[in-house]
Amino acid sequence: MNSFFDRLYDALRSIKLAVALLVLLALFAIVGGIIPQEKAIDYYLTKFPGTGAHIILGMGIDHIFSSIEFLIVAAVFAMNLTVCTLHRLANEFTKPFRKRRHGPDLLHLGLIILLFGGIMTARTRTESVINLRKGESADLPDGSKISLVDLAYEQYPDGRPKSFASVVTMSRAPRSGEHADAAATTAADSSLAQRTIKVNAPLRGKGFSIYQQNWHAEQQAELSDAMGLRFRLDPGMKEEFSDGFALFMAKGQTPETANDAIFLLEKGGVRTVVKASIGQPVGPFTFSGLINESISGLAIVTDKGYPYVAAGFILVMLGVFITYIRKLKGMLA
Amino acid sequence: MIATIAFGLLIVSLIIQIIVLFKKDAKPDSIAPWISLVAGLLLLVEIVRRSIAIHFVALTGMFESLIFLACFLTLLIFGLRYIKAAKGNKVIPFGATIVAVIFLALASSPLAPADIKPPVPALQSGWLVLHVSFTFIGEVFFTVGFVSAILQLATKREERRQTYDRLAYTSVAVGYPIFTAGALIFGAIWAEKAWGVWWSWDPKETWALITWLTYTAYLHFRLVRKSTSKLVPALVIAGFFIAMFTFFGVNFLLSGLHSYA
Ligand code: HEM
Repeated sequence: MNSFFDRLYDALRSIKLAVALLVLLALFAIVGGIIPQEKAIDYYLTKFPGTGAHIILGMGIDHIFSSIEFLIVAAVFAMNLTVCTLHRLANEFTKPFRKRRHGPDLLHLGLIILLFGGIMTARTRTESVINLRKGESADLPDGSKISLVDLAYEQYPDGRPKSFASVVTMSRAPRSGEHADAAATTAADSSLAQRTIKVNAPLRGKGFSIYQQNWHAEQQAELSDAMGLRFRLDPGMKEEFSDGFALFMAKGQTPETANDAIFLLEKGGVRTVVKASIGQPVGPFTFSGLINESISGLAIVTDKGYPYVAAGFILVMLGVFITYIRKLKGMLA
Repeated sequence: MIATIAFGLLIVSLIIQIIVLFKKDAKPDSIAPWISLVAGLLLLVEIVRRSIAIHFVALTGMFESLIFLACFLTLLIFGLRYIKAAKGNKVIPFGATIVAVIFLALASSPLAPADIKPPVPALQSGWLVLHVSFTFIGEVFFTVGFVSAILQLATKREERRQTYDRLAYTSVAVGYPIFTAGALIFGAIWAEKAWGVWWSWDPKETWALITWLTYTAYLHFRLVRKSTSKLVPALVIAGFFIAMFTFFGVNFLLSGLHSYA
């Protein structure tokens, strides 16, 4: 019995096994690096017509990094790595202090932590996108509220984007027992500190981060009714009246009609397409112009794995540099 | 323009090196390394010039990447003079110069437009600069390892083979930590800052991982191999081709595939 475990232990701490597994993992990655991953079934059917798509879908190559085959190899590798690391660490501790080399230990330990972090990320990461216009608010995972105070978009002279930025305020999270609204009323309070979220400069909250993910401009049509009351319609939205509705379809498509709007008008069961310039009627309403609305797309991400990943990165970096600085010193001496 | 002059200089250097290679008795020439140094410094000037023009480190396009690679490779070719194991060796600088010439030839091809463009928001990041520069500097050392490994396979003399084996290992031993930091760690940190996800299995990431796994396999295999194993240098050679595929292939072949979709 004992000898079985001895043999298993020896097998699991074998560097040859490690090399074989590294090569195997690389082969999986090559397949996953050539065949696009996690696409819709139609994508494979049109891209690799016939047997190609059958093989890809049948063998699960479209999601190779979450396939059971890959995960088993990765799990054996993780065991191999863990046993190796502990064995080497224990071995190193038997040596006199000055002879110890802990570079590879730090490195291998860092990798184990990184692996753990990776699993945590895969299991706990959440992402939700909120689209905010100026003045709008949304809830955050900790119960606080975020409000968009301003948003700025800059272009280079050639039209490529130069920067996207959202200026936001965050209300404090509600205290225990406090109603969320009580804390949230302060969200739009101008006395709150303003923070800026930019691409490459996320805003870190308690247990979540907010990223500037996209930015788009949307055109709304502004209309006024018989009383002179103004309201706005997003594309595709309609406003009803007594015997019908007006639906904002799009803005004018040619340069001359760029300030005009196209509506679908239903009145008494009859539908017509109405093109309106500023000041012209659309059913009982009057079209008073197009309004450019900018919308900031913010991604809210929670990831319990990230602290472990970060710790793993630091250890791997330290470990790999310590290992080779010592080695190279030895080789030059 | 500056890059073209550097290209011309390297061609001259190649010709001198070929002449010296064929004169069996000749001592290693003393001109080619200096030409290499001048070419490297010129390319550095070009990188600085472009960086000033866009108020950012000019390292965000294919052309700039190639110039950067060629710059550090030519500087390293000069530096080989000062490394004991490589001193007096004529073939390694020659092989590395060929690679540098290929980089610059690609830089002047239509595949790599040379217009100067400031970076879009996703690229405006110090982490990106660290990511790209460390990755490339690591790959420059892998290039010398690649040439050494080819010589290790090609030579029959045992003593020479050991020298090349050591040289290949030393190059990888310098390049690997820098590549690990650049390609994997700084890359992941940048991805997290820009997109909120530190790893997403996109083709570029996946191929960088394959490169890293290959060199990792090499380093471990070398610990347990028989000294005559051909697989050891073969892994260094494979690592280099995979690194280059990660750089060019993914852009031109795989993303090309995507763009038809
Ligand atoms: C992705 C995973 C791994 C990475 C990145 C890694 C990295 C490294 C590096 C860079 C070295 C130094 C090699 C050299 O001397 O040049 C090393 C050494 C070593 N690794 Fe790994 N390793 C990994 C997995 C493993 C596994 C699974 C094992 C289990 C067999 C292992 C066992 C060892 C041993 C025994 C050494 C020798 C340390 C010494 O010099 O005493 N490694 N590793």
